[in-house]
Amino acid sequence: MGWLAVPKDWIATFGEMSKFCGKIVGQVYGLRVFRFFGEALRQCGILILSSTLVIWGLVFIIGLQCGIEGAYFDRSVGAPAYAGVFAAWCDLRELVPYAFGYMMAAKVGTGIVAELGSMRISDEIDALEVMGFNSVTFLCATRLLAAWLVLPFMYIAAIGAGFFASYLAVVQQIGEVSSGGFFLIFWMFQNPPDLLFSLLKAMVMATGIVLVGCYYGYNASGGPVGVGTATAKSMVLNIVFVHLIGMLGTQLFWGANPRAPIGG
Amino acid sequence: MILTGKTIVSALRPPYPYGGEFVSQFLFALRLCWFPLLVSTVAFGYGAPGLQAANFLVLFGALDRLGGFFVLASIREFAPFVVAIVLAGVAGTAITADLGARKIREELDALQVLGVDPVKNLVVPRFLALMVVTGLFDVYALLFGIFGGILATLVNGAPLGPFWATFFTNASVTDLWGSLVKCTLFGAIIAIVCCYKGMTASGGAAGVGRAVNQAVVIAFLGVFAFNYVFTQTLLATHPEITVIK
Repeated sequence: MGWLAVPKDWIATFGEMSKFCGKIVGQVYGLRVFRFFGEALRQCGILILSSTLVIWGLVFIIGLQCGIEGAYFDRSVGAPAYAGVFAAWCDLRELVPYAFGYMMAAKVGTGIVAELGSMRISDEIDALEVMGFNSVTFLCATRLLAAWLVLPFMYIAAIGAGFFASYLAVVQQIGEVSSGGFFLIFWMFQNPPDLLFSLLKAMVMATGIVLVGCYYGYNASGGPVGVGTATAKSMVLNIVFVHLIGMLGTQLFWGANPRAPIGG
Repeated sequence: MILTGKTIVSALRPPYPYGGEFVSQFLFALRLCWFPLLVSTVAFGYGAPGLQAANFLVLFGALDRLGGFFVLASIREFAPFVVAIVLAGVAGTAITADLGARKIREELDALQVLGVDPVKNLVVPRFLALMVVTGLFDVYALLFGIFGGILATLVNGAPLGPFWATFFTNASVTDLWGSLVKCTLFGAIIAIVCCYKGMTASGGAAGVGRAVNQAVVIAFLGVFAFNYVFTQTLLATHPEITVIK
């Protein structure tokens, strides 16, 4: 029986989590969250002020990385002019969503767990309930709505930061491609649906991360130590989640159709 | 930074009381990370370099080159990188939460009063354990990352022979060493950042949570910035490994 306990536990947690997440999403779609629209706007402000720069910074570094690896790889297959392909694919399709997911999990996800967890520990959530607020709506649904309001724009700006970094690495630093040549290939290898798919991938990741953060924070227990462990646990789940979404998204959007203007 | 110096000095200077703690931390990190790491590396290897690069190469009719690409992508970049992310997210946060909780309950001060040096007995074993674990996990991540690549090859209906052929002609010892050294240093960065943030936590329950949050953000940024500098240096100083055969 001993070894069965762990998977059973996982399944039970998963079920509880789905129920909790369903409740939050239902409250956002049921428009009940708009009773607390002011709180949602406040959460938007917190997201913008505290997380934007960190996420852009990480994406920028990833863009540089993509640029140099891509330039070296294309030189080795004898097509240095095609370094722009890497900037278009590696940035837009794969690594910017991943980097965004990582940083969302690290900054926003754990932030939510820490915040809600300490509210739970100091009985503030119970106090809300006593005052007649629906605490799930007030705390979790507003955060989800805030994420949905802010993150698409932040993500598009982050893609811009990644592209700029790749441009810097390929054109300015390695310097084998002219700026015009880079941009010709770069624009040739992407189109608006790609941007939309990439955005979708990132938004699914962000939604998942906010929900997981809310679940672990809202259900934290066991004093300061409990908050710490809940934060650590949410991070584990988020990392696995981000990678799975990344893989499934790639398979779904580009698996059978590379959408590239080469050959027939 | 000061903590780094202190840790290294007290790791080298006798006596060495941290053997048991080292082993338990090592096992702890191992137990915590193996499953997330497995899922992450297979997913990453299959998705990013596997499918996208395979798409690109199929258009050229050169899918056998995927093996060569995996040397570049998986060994040089993604394996260390995914290991660092998972270790920072899983083991690093656990360390910060643990040390932060001890700090809040004043256990660290109690240790100091008892004449036990917390750096030597708590930070050093974690530092060493994380360095060794990341180094070893790098190999593990390589195996599973390449498994992701094999999966992508099979999905495209290509035989595996050419994959292995180009893989082994391109793989070099320099690549492997570069990957391992990089990964070990990532482990050091993560351990130091997380221990520092844990040991300086303050302000009750909210404080521990905030410490974990900051630790993971700083560790990610540090790892990525270091990764960029390291790759750049490795590629520039070893031009022969950039040639694909």
